[in-house]
Amino acid sequence: MSADTMPGPLSAVPLRPRSVARRRVVDRLVTSLAWLAAAFGVFIMGWIVVTVVGRGIGAINWAFFTQSPPAGADLGGGLGPCIVGTIVLTGFAAVIGIPIGFFGAVYLSEFGRTGRIATAIRTITNVVLGVPSIIAGLFAYAILVKPLHHYSGFAGSVALAFIMLPVMTRAAEDVLNLVPNELRESALAMGAPRWRATLGVIVRSARAGLITSTILAVVRVAGETAPLLFTALSSPYWLNGLFGPSGFFGGPVANLTKTIYDYSTSPYQHLQQLAWGGALVIIVAVLGTNVLVRLVFQRGK
Amino acid sequence: MTETTTDRSAAVAPRIEVATGQRAVEFDALPSKLSVRGLDFFYGKEQALFGNTLEIKEKRVTAIIGPSGCGKSTHIRTFNRIYELYRNQRATGEIWFDGRNILASGTDLLDLRRRIGMIFQKPSPFPMTVFDNIAYGLRLHFKLSRSELADHVEDALKRAALWDEVKHKLKEPGLALSGGQQQRLSIARAIAAEPEVILMDEPCSAIDPVATAKIEELIAQLSSAYTIVIVTHNMQQAARVSDYTAFFFEGRIVEAGLTTQIFENPQRKQTEDYITGRFS
Repeated sequence: MSADTMPGPLSAVPLRPRSVARRRVVDRLVTSLAWLAAAFGVFIMGWIVVTVVGRGIGAINWAFFTQSPPAGADLGGGLGPCIVGTIVLTGFAAVIGIPIGFFGAVYLSEFGRTGRIATAIRTITNVVLGVPSIIAGLFAYAILVKPLHHYSGFAGSVALAFIMLPVMTRAAEDVLNLVPNELRESALAMGAPRWRATLGVIVRSARAGLITSTILAVVRVAGETAPLLFTALSSPYWLNGLFGPSGFFGGPVANLTKTIYDYSTSPYQHLQQLAWGGALVIIVAVLGTNVLVRLVFQRGK
Repeated sequence: MTETTTDRSAAVAPRIEVATGQRAVEFDALPSKLSVRGLDFFYGKEQALFGNTLEIKEKRVTAIIGPSGCGKSTHIRTFNRIYELYRNQRATGEIWFDGRNILASGTDLLDLRRRIGMIFQKPSPFPMTVFDNIAYGLRLHFKLSRSELADHVEDALKRAALWDEVKHKLKEPGLALSGGQQQRLSIARAIAAEPEVILMDEPCSAIDPVATAKIEELIAQLSSAYTIVIVTHNMQQAARVSDYTAFFFEGRIVEAGLTTQIFENPQRKQTEDYITGRFS
């Protein structure tokens, strides 16, 4: 544009500046509110951790990890079977929930996208994400416990998988959506079939995020209690085989969360002590994994 | 706003040097690699290309120029049907390539995309090593022994003028290279699949001037063996690298022909206005 076509002032009305002092006050106020809210969250978190560590640390010793819960009013013992049980229940839930969640996410982000089916799946996923976890337990009870006439670890894992599935799907879809379209186009422009472009290039470029999503989804259900209430129940015995009364498919399986619930409400002080120890183990495992995963994969970026 | 009184023809137009004109012979004398006939394109209900007709000459560089949003990229994205990734995009008309209309159903897209490679605006190395990036297309389309694969990778990198810079970095991730190197890696990756046509969608707009100069040099070298179509919003670049130029405006081809002619003696006033920067 040449000089002679430069426009003049837009209007004859003078522009009145806003008060700088007022803006500064509002800025301070909003900043402090945000800061306070964050500090409150951290404070509560810290309080929980300090309490659990303070009360639970006394229960932690070698026997805690290796021995079964004491029978009757005996002292001593540990939560060994519960730790093993929780690991197995969560692990098997992951075997079911993670692959389905992963492929669901691949479908949503790579194939369905904004289509009607994908939109429906996404909505359902969001709804399931908000379903109270006890409903997941009821669901597994209805399809696996009631028809078979016995509680089982398998039913517990299915209930946990039901909670894990939408968490994994949403997290993985978010990660896949971060892959730039240019990479998708580049892979397809090489003459790659859709599935090869998806698995070989797109999923691969999102792998750090996908691993993070997986671990966080697994850890998310490790601390669940309600889904196990009428599925895996709990037991004081070591998991033994598959189909026997102490087997994964055959009967109740010991686990930390339900045991914590039972022992914390018992009148015996040494059982309450074990419950605090169990709480400490779970909180350390969940928090530790979270922090570790974020540290490792954020550095990779 | 006041009307400028300066006479248009009296204004000093920026001179654009046309360097590659000597290679370009009369338009009709050369065989066409791609013939576009009545190409319409739609984004949903919105039409972006209107009955375009264009000849892409074999083993020559054709530049597509025009202001932003005029349909340059849209046009070349029909040549390998990459637009089909998006469900609301649709092309009608004919694009003849080797005796077949590639827009017809029944076109083998995987083979089409091997024969018509594409380079994008942003360098997009795959998340793997330099070697595997180049080997990607080779593994997709050819059965090769380990040593044959290594030979072809080396050959492609040499043809993309990247070998000397990366021969000791073959095991490093492609993303570790510089932006300009990444773009030449993309070119090498496309070349490795033995294409006949290479489409370049603003290949230099995300890289620095030195890297741009290298890519332009590379385009000149490659044009002896490949048919190249380059979309660029840099007119100097179009003038430097191309034999033929098509000027797009609002989804239509205003003028197409020898680059020398388009830049030195445009037939249409719209073309002249754009070339001389008098576009509004």
